[in-house]
This record gives sequence, structure tokens and C-alpha cells, in this order.
Amino acid sequence: MKTANGLADQEIFDAHLASQSASGAPEWWLDLKRESWRRFRKLPMPMRKDENWRFASLGGVKLDGYELGDSSPPEIADKEVLKRSENVRQRAGRLVFSNDRLMDSEAISEEWAKKGVIWLPLEQAVREHEDLLRKHFMAQPIKLGSEKFSELHGALCSAGSFLYVPKGVEVDLPLVAFHWTDRNNAALFPHTLLIADDMAKVTLVDFFSAHDRSSRNFICGVNDLYAGPGARVTYISAQDWGRDSLAFHLNSTQAFKDAFITSLNVNVGGRQARNESHSQVLGEGAHTQMQSLTVATGKQEFDQRTLQTHFKGRSVSDLLYKNALLDDARTIFSGLIKVEEDAQQTDAYQTNRNLLLSPTAESNSLPGLEILANDVKCSHGATSGQIDDEQLHYMRARGIPEPVAKQLLVFGFFEDILGKLENEEIAENLRTLIRSQF
Amino acid sequence: MSKQLEIKNLSVTVETTEILKDLSLTLPRGEVHAIMGPNGTGKSTLAKALAGHPDYEITSGEVLLDGENILEMEVDERARAGLFMAFQYPSEIPGVSIANFLRAAKQARLAEGEDLDATGFYKTLYEKMDMLHIDRKFTSRAINEGFSGGEKKRNEILQMAMLEPKYAIMDETDSGLDIDALRIVSEGVNKLRGPECGILLITHYQRILEYIVPDHVHVMWNGRIVKSGGKDLAIELENKGYDWIKEEFAEPAAKA
Amino acid sequence: MSETTTPELDIKTDIGNFVYPEKHKYDAGKGLSEHTIDYMCEVKEEPDWIREFRMNALQTFREKPMPTHWASSDLNAIDFDKIRYYLAGDQKPSRSWDDVPDDVKQTFERLGIPESERKFLAGVEAQFDSEAAYSNIKEIASKQGVIFVGSTEGLKEHPEIFRKWFGKVIPTGDNKFSALNSAVFSGGSFIYVPPGVKVSHPLQAYFRINAQNFGQFERTLIIADEGSEVTYMEGCTAPKFDTATLHSAVVELVALKGAKIQYITVQNWSDNVFNLVTKRGLAHEDAEIRWIDCNIGSRLTMKYPGVILKGRRARGEVLSIALANDGQHQDTGAKMVHAADETSSNIISKSISVGKGRATYRGLVNMPKHLKGCKNNTECDALLINTNSRTDTYPAITARGDHNSVQHEASVSKVSAEQIFYMRQRGMSEGQAMSLAVNGFINDLARHFPMEYSVELKRLIDLEMEGSVG
Repeated sequence: MKTANGLADQEIFDAHLASQSASGAPEWWLDLKRESWRRFRKLPMPMRKDENWRFASLGGVKLDGYELGDSSPPEIADKEVLKRSENVRQRAGRLVFSNDRLMDSEAISEEWAKKGVIWLPLEQAVREHEDLLRKHFMAQPIKLGSEKFSELHGALCSAGSFLYVPKGVEVDLPLVAFHWTDRNNAALFPHTLLIADDMAKVTLVDFFSAHDRSSRNFICGVNDLYAGPGARVTYISAQDWGRDSLAFHLNSTQAFKDAFITSLNVNVGGRQARNESHSQVLGEGAHTQMQSLTVATGKQEFDQRTLQTHFKGRSVSDLLYKNALLDDARTIFSGLIKVEEDAQQTDAYQTNRNLLLSPTAESNSLPGLEILANDVKCSHGATSGQIDDEQLHYMRARGIPEPVAKQLLVFGFFEDILGKLENEEIAENLRTLIRSQF
Repeated sequence: MSKQLEIKNLSVTVETTEILKDLSLTLPRGEVHAIMGPNGTGKSTLAKALAGHPDYEITSGEVLLDGENILEMEVDERARAGLFMAFQYPSEIPGVSIANFLRAAKQARLAEGEDLDATGFYKTLYEKMDMLHIDRKFTSRAINEGFSGGEKKRNEILQMAMLEPKYAIMDETDSGLDIDALRIVSEGVNKLRGPECGILLITHYQRILEYIVPDHVHVMWNGRIVKSGGKDLAIELENKGYDWIKEEFAEPAAKA
Repeated sequence: MSETTTPELDIKTDIGNFVYPEKHKYDAGKGLSEHTIDYMCEVKEEPDWIREFRMNALQTFREKPMPTHWASSDLNAIDFDKIRYYLAGDQKPSRSWDDVPDDVKQTFERLGIPESERKFLAGVEAQFDSEAAYSNIKEIASKQGVIFVGSTEGLKEHPEIFRKWFGKVIPTGDNKFSALNSAVFSGGSFIYVPPGVKVSHPLQAYFRINAQNFGQFERTLIIADEGSEVTYMEGCTAPKFDTATLHSAVVELVALKGAKIQYITVQNWSDNVFNLVTKRGLAHEDAEIRWIDCNIGSRLTMKYPGVILKGRRARGEVLSIALANDGQHQDTGAKMVHAADETSSNIISKSISVGKGRATYRGLVNMPKHLKGCKNNTECDALLINTNSRTDTYPAITARGDHNSVQHEASVSKVSAEQIFYMRQRGMSEGQAMSLAVNGFINDLARHFPMEYSVELKRLIDLEMEGSVG
């Protein structure tokens, strides 16, 4: 096993390319990677004066001291990993990765396969579905500051899930992907590509976790969601990386006419975790919901950058990001609603709520609007505050001890999102993850 | 010059659907005419089209106000020519007080360079408010913002009293009013009745006509006036309902 | 009820669009160098410490980059070499209305300052170009020991107060334009209100730009000593010129323990003016600073009045109205820096964008660690008049500490077609209806303005809304 100095080293990329080539990756795919690598090398690291990095800690944003995750086999036995990946029992299919290596591929059931649903590990999809991949893989603009890391992902990613749901097909059980790591200093590049054609319906869930809570890793994940006309897509991710990790999760969604996309990110892991979500409303009648729940503890920093762009009117986007902050944790929410010229009758909302549970925690809010059309309903709100004393008093007056009352109120803070999830099994998983942080 | 509002063969289309079909009606000044009819028959369309709402396309016909065709006029020109509409759903205008609103409306009726006499204005305003049992504090409240249904309608009558129109069209002014509010509003309208004003009262129910007794009653059905008569017609409608009208005047195709 | 007494005003569309012959005795020429500063100091007979202060500021100005990484790149259109940095009329500050030159009086006339307001002019410090053209303190204020003079007179004759606070609230290096102002400032007011004195009438200053390529760099410093209260009002209009004009003021307010300062601005620059102003107040224990800021006109205005809440229970407030018409960009907002326990701040911003005008709100609220019981409330409402009018909102809010709370809300709306129809049915023209709706939109803020200012504001809005529809 060779330890590299940094992810920007040419030999890391060369080794990755060689291994991709050896595993039968087609030439067009290798070319894409070469292009990404070239652009990655040219782009600068983020700088203090970049508006997209305002309030972010740049000191820890480094590429040094990591090696590729799949450069050596996982230490934890396959069986154990699979056992830990059993928390969603009602599912249509499952993929399990450890250190970016595929551990298990549970094919989609016959019923859906017959209807043309494709559910594959990314590497296999690259070999078998060139047209779809060429059209959709990393095809969306990165606008929120992590251009360089996005290119790094393009150059080095291999693990991930590919889901295609054809016109009119409704998959009523969720597809589930697990990305694990059990090795310190491993760099991971999990990818998720979801394409729902006209009137299709599907739910996909990603779990990101380190076996060891103290693990140090570099993660740069990308997930792209495409909802064709009338499609209904639900995407949920739960992020529980090791507490010494630097994690990027870059999300883009495209909602075409009358499509409905809900995405929910639950974040508890990492030393410094940055989420970028770009929602593009591309058709009239489209509706996107962007939700996030974060529990920030210790000295964690969660950095959330969002963009809701309305290219077409008569559409809705609705964002709700809720952060509970403990200890010395920091959060940054920077959101922008952009209504393009002539996207009339747009409804766009953006709300950031920060619950400060410690006097040394810090929340930063940058809720932005850029509105270039006049017949719109747009609003944003940001609040930061403590547990409501009146509510606490009321509960205590009913005989509930203060710590219990506080906990009830904090859990209640997340319930307006969790309580509305259709899939109770997933909701319960997310509840457990959130509660284990207190 | 004939002092009357003359609606001649008016046809009106809303988003490609024809609502009013060749409707004719004459309202002389000094008279009160009621238009009754079932829901969805085009009563409110008539009111809005007369006022000049941009969503209502007039495909044929003419409307003469004291002999002058108003269909070529913009909505505010019609208003200044003497046409007033009491809205069924009056708009809320945040931050604009009733007093300032009415001053602007009065000012718009003066010749250029002529200033409204502020003292006289307030004197008249308070008189009219007292007449309509509207608390004087209302003058500083924003137009219709947070008003109850009754308050909104009284505010419409107040504006009518202040602007002294030649013809007033009252679009379901009675809807959503309790019996006390209805009485107050009706008393107000009765006080504004007189030789200089013609009133077109659009209503679904006969109830308001017990308070404002009309000179003529017209029954509207399917975009046309199908029956006209004296005040007794309203009572007949109240007793018999609208079904007999529907049967009698159903589309010839359906009838055959 | 205030409506009853509001006078109706004649609207003159050519207001702010006239020029008088220039007769400037002192002119430092175009461009900025050490020589310009030497020249200014000599003409103004300034003490050495000011010369040194200016020279240091010039250095800082040169070193600072244009803030275009976050601000409009339109700033690059400013050609600093083509600007005149100092220019003064040969009028000495005068003490009575009779001494005021006729052309200045005529300027007030053309601005349509109402008769009722001219009474106030008895206590006005009005600036014509760089130097105070007219200065008179209301007798009563003077008897109370209030100092109300031009900044030059202030630094020469009251150095013991002036030096203590000058440049302390807004350091030279705060931003590129505060550095520029520090290098070449002239004009502006210096006010000191002694402990416990409550100045009953607002102190006023009118000033305007009246020379091509001439930047105006006034500097105002107001100190309200313990328990005192003062209101200061400024209004400005500028005639239109072909080449860009730069206006870059610095205003510093100091409210000592329990003092209250209210600073009111109504401005209407012509649409070739760059108006880049730094305004900040320092509020000590139990003190209150309120900025009321109304921006109309200019090509680009960048102005974010701020309050540093330094003492316990200090309060800060910014109420702002911005109207951006075609070709104009109002980039305005507020800064609230909480630096003591139980401090509170309130920001209400309303903007109106007309045609392709662009109104931007930029805000900063900071509550650092170890503070208790601080509160901020921010509301931003934008009204868009035409199909492609533009509004942006870019707040930055940092909250820490114990039992602190921040709340920010923003909304965007338009004047609905139904509202316009309703008003037109009452006989108003489309323009009048629009004007009324816009005045309604800002009404709850305009109520905070003194009466004659809200009248002026209404008139300016009527002027701006003319021809905005149809």
C-alpha cells in the first residue's frame, strides 16, 4: 500500500485511471476523467474573498494526506458491513460500498426490471448505458463554489449508484445505497445519478457513514437528480462521516414541467461538511422542495450553500433548512433564490432556522434573493434563537423536568420535516440518527 | 341629451367563453333597477364589463352614458364620467388610508391646476361617515385592509357618497352581510337615491330589495335579460325560485 | 390625523435639472495627488495633524482595491483622474438669511422647498458645493451650548472635542471610499450637544453638487453627550450633467450614555451620480441611534448605515426607503454590530424598482460570543413595478451567545392588477393609482419622517412614478 501526499498528485490520478482501465471501463469514460483532471489542476483552491466561501473556515480545506479509498481492501468483513446495511428492510434494491469498493449489489426485483427500471453500480452502468451516462453524468453547472472539488470528483469517482426509471413507471419501494468507510485517510467519491422519465415515480436513499466515529476521511460526493415532465422524485441522504473528516456533497436537481422533487439531507457527521444544492426549475408547474436537518456538535462546521433558479414561471420552490447547534459548533447557511426574467408567477420560499443550544455555538445566515420578474411570490426568513422560554415554562408547569422538556422541544424542532415523510421506516432511521447526537 | 345609461346589444367574452349575449337594458337617472338571477348567469360580468375590467372583452354592442359611448374610455375615464361600481370583493390596498384615497379620487375629478379644498373635503367626509355609521377613526385606516365584510361594503357606499356618481352599479353588495349591516348599507343607498343618480342593483336574493325598493326588476339568465317587471317580480322569484325561469328560457336546442 | 394638514404640492418635472454659472475661486484642478492635499490644506489653513491624516488616508486609498468582488462592477466606471477634489465658493460662511447669495436662494426655490419649511431654514446649515454657504444656529440651541458648525471650523475651533472622536467610528481604512473621503474631505457639519440638552428643532443641512466632474466629500461628525438628544436632517438633489459625478461622504455619530441621535436623509441625486457613502454610529450605554435614510436617483448608490452597539442596552435602528428607476442601482442596507449585553437593533428596509431599475438590500448583523439578551429584527420588503424590474437581497447574519435572537424576513411583491383596477374605477389615472400604491407601500416607514420630509418624499415618488406604467 502506497501513501500519497495529496489528492492533487498526478500519480494518484494515473493509478486510478490504470485501475479503471483494467476493470474494463470504456475509453470515452476515461477521456471524461482526463478532462476533469485537467480542469481540476487548473482551477484554484477557494480563497477568502470568494463570496461563495464567506464565513467558511478555509484552513482545513486541504487535499493533503489522503489516499484513494479503493486502493486496498476493506478491513471489516463483508458480512458485518452487510449486516449494518439492513436498516431499510422494505426496499426495491440495494447497493453497498465500502471505501468506494462495491460490496454487494442487490438487483432490482424482476417486477421493475421487466418494466425497464435500471438499478446498477455506476461502473457497470458506464459499460452498459453509455447514452444515458453521456447525457446526464456531471452535466449540470456547479455554481456554488466547489467547481474544483466537482472536477476532482469527476476525475476520481468510480463508486456509486445509477437509477433510471422509464416513462410512466412508478417504483413504490425505495432504492437504497450505503457508502461506508473503515479506513483512516481514505478519500471517497460516492456518486448518485437518478433519472426519472416522464410521469415516473421513485425514491432513493443514500446512507453515508464511517464505522469508526473518529475517522479522518476526505469525501467528495455528487448526486444529480433529473425529474422529467410530471415525474415525482424523492431523494433522502443521511450523512454520518467520521468526526475528523472533510466532506463535500454537491447536489443538483432538474425539475421539468409539472415535476415534483423533494430532497432531504440529514447531516450529523464530519469535522467540516459542506453541502451545495442547486435546484433548477426548468418547466412550468414544476415544484421542488429542498430540506435539510443538521445537528452540529463539538467543533463541527456545517456549510450549506443553496441556489433555487427559476427559469420558467408558474412554478414553486420551497426550501427549509433547520440546524440545531451545540457546544462550539458553527453553521453557515447561504441561500439564493434567483427568478430569471419572464419567469412570472413563480412562488419561491426559503427559510433557515437555527436553534442555538449553547452560548458558544455560532450560526451564520445569508439568505439571498435575486428577482428579475415582478409577478412573483418570494420570501425568505432566517431566525436564530434559543428554546422558547414560554414553551419550556409551559411544559415544566405540567410537571415535565427541564432536561426532558428541552429534549422534547429539540426533537420537536425536526419533526415538522420528519413527521411528514411518507416512509415511516426511513423516518425512524433518521430520528435515531439525530437523537443519537444528544 | 337623454339622462340615462343605455346598454345596447352587449356581448362580452371572458377567456374565449361568451358570458353576455346581446344584452340590452336602459337605466334612467333617478331610478333603481334590480338585476336578479341565479349564480353564474353573468350578473357580475355585466358589472365588471361596464366598469371596464381588462379581462372582459366586449365583442359587440354599445353602452351610452347620457348619450356618450363609454366603451372607448379607459376605466378611470368612465369613473370620472360618472360611473361608479361598488365591488363585490373590494381590493385591499395596504398603507393607503381611506382619507388619502378619497382625496386622490376627488382631486382626479378637478380641472388641472385646481386644488381640492381640504377643509370642505373633510367636512363632507365626516358628514357622510356619520350618515353611514362609520367611525371617524376609519379615515386613517388602510383601504379595506383587515376590514370585515360589512365594513368593506360600508366603505364602498361611503366612496359612492363621496364621489357622487350619475350611475352606480352595485355588485352583490348584500352578499356576506348580516341583517344589521344590510340595513345600514341599505339606508345609505336610500339616502343617495335621488333624481341625479341611477342605481343598478345586482343581487341574488330578494332580501335587499325589501330595504331598497326597486322601480324595476330584471331577471337575467344565461347572459341575457329574460324578464322585466315591477317590484313584485322579485317577490315572485323569491317564492318560486329560479327553476321556472331556467325551464322557460332554456336554450332552444335543449328545449326541443 | 396627519392627512388633514398635508399641503398639496405642485409637481415640477424639471426639478433638479438646472445649472447655475460656476464661479469658484479655489479649484484644486483634476486628479488626486499629494499636491492636491497640500493645496487644500493651505487654502483651508488647516493644522498639521490634519495634513498628516489626509496624506495617510491618500496612501490607504491607493492601496485598497475596488470592492468589486462583492459590489457592482459599475464602480470601475469611476475615473478618479477626471474628478476635481476640491472646489470652494468665495462665500464665507454667513450668519443671516440676507447674506445668502441669491443664486443659492434661487436653488432652494427651484427645489420647491415649501414655504412652511423655509421657517426652518433660519436654523439651517446649508452647503453649496464644498463650503458652508449659509450657516446659522437657532438662537435657542446656541444658548444651550450646542455647537453646530462646518467640519473645517469644528476641527480648528473645537479640537479638544473634534480630535477625540474624528475618524474613530469610521477608521480611514474602513473601505476604499472612506479612505478617499479622509484624504480630501471638506464641508459637512460638526455638531456637539452638551450633556442633558435636548435640541427641540431638527438641525438641517441642504447641499447639492453644482460643478461638472466635481466630487463632493463632505464629512460630518455629531457627538451627543450624556443624556442629550438631537435630530439632524439632510436633503440633497443634484442637477444633471453629462459626465459622472462622485459623491462620497463620511458621517460619524457618537451617542454617549443615554443620548439619542436621529439622522434623517432624503436624497435625490441625478442619475449620473455615484453616491458612495459610509455612515456609522457608536451607541454607548442606554444610547439610541436611528438612521432614517431615503435614497432616490443616482446611477449607483452604495450606503449601509450602521450602528455599533457598544454599551449595555444600547439601541440601533435603520429605516430605509430606496427607489430605483431605469438605469439606477440602489445598493443600500444596514449594519448592526452588537458589542454589549441586552443591546437591540431593528432594520426595516423598503425598496421600489421601476422599469429596469435595480434595488439591492445588503445587510450585516453580528452578535458575537459571550453576549446575553441581544435582539435583532430585520424586515426587507421589495416592490417591483414593471415586468423586468429587479430586486436583490443579500443579508449576512451571525448569531452566537446566550439568549440572543435574530429574525430576518424579506418579501417581494408587486402592485396587483386588481388594486390598480379598483383605484381606476374610482377615477384615478393609472399613474396616479400606481403612485398611490407605492406611497402606501412605504407609508408605515414614511410616518417616521418629519412632516415636511414626508411631503418632499411623496413628491419625489410622484415624480419618479410618472410614466412608469403604460
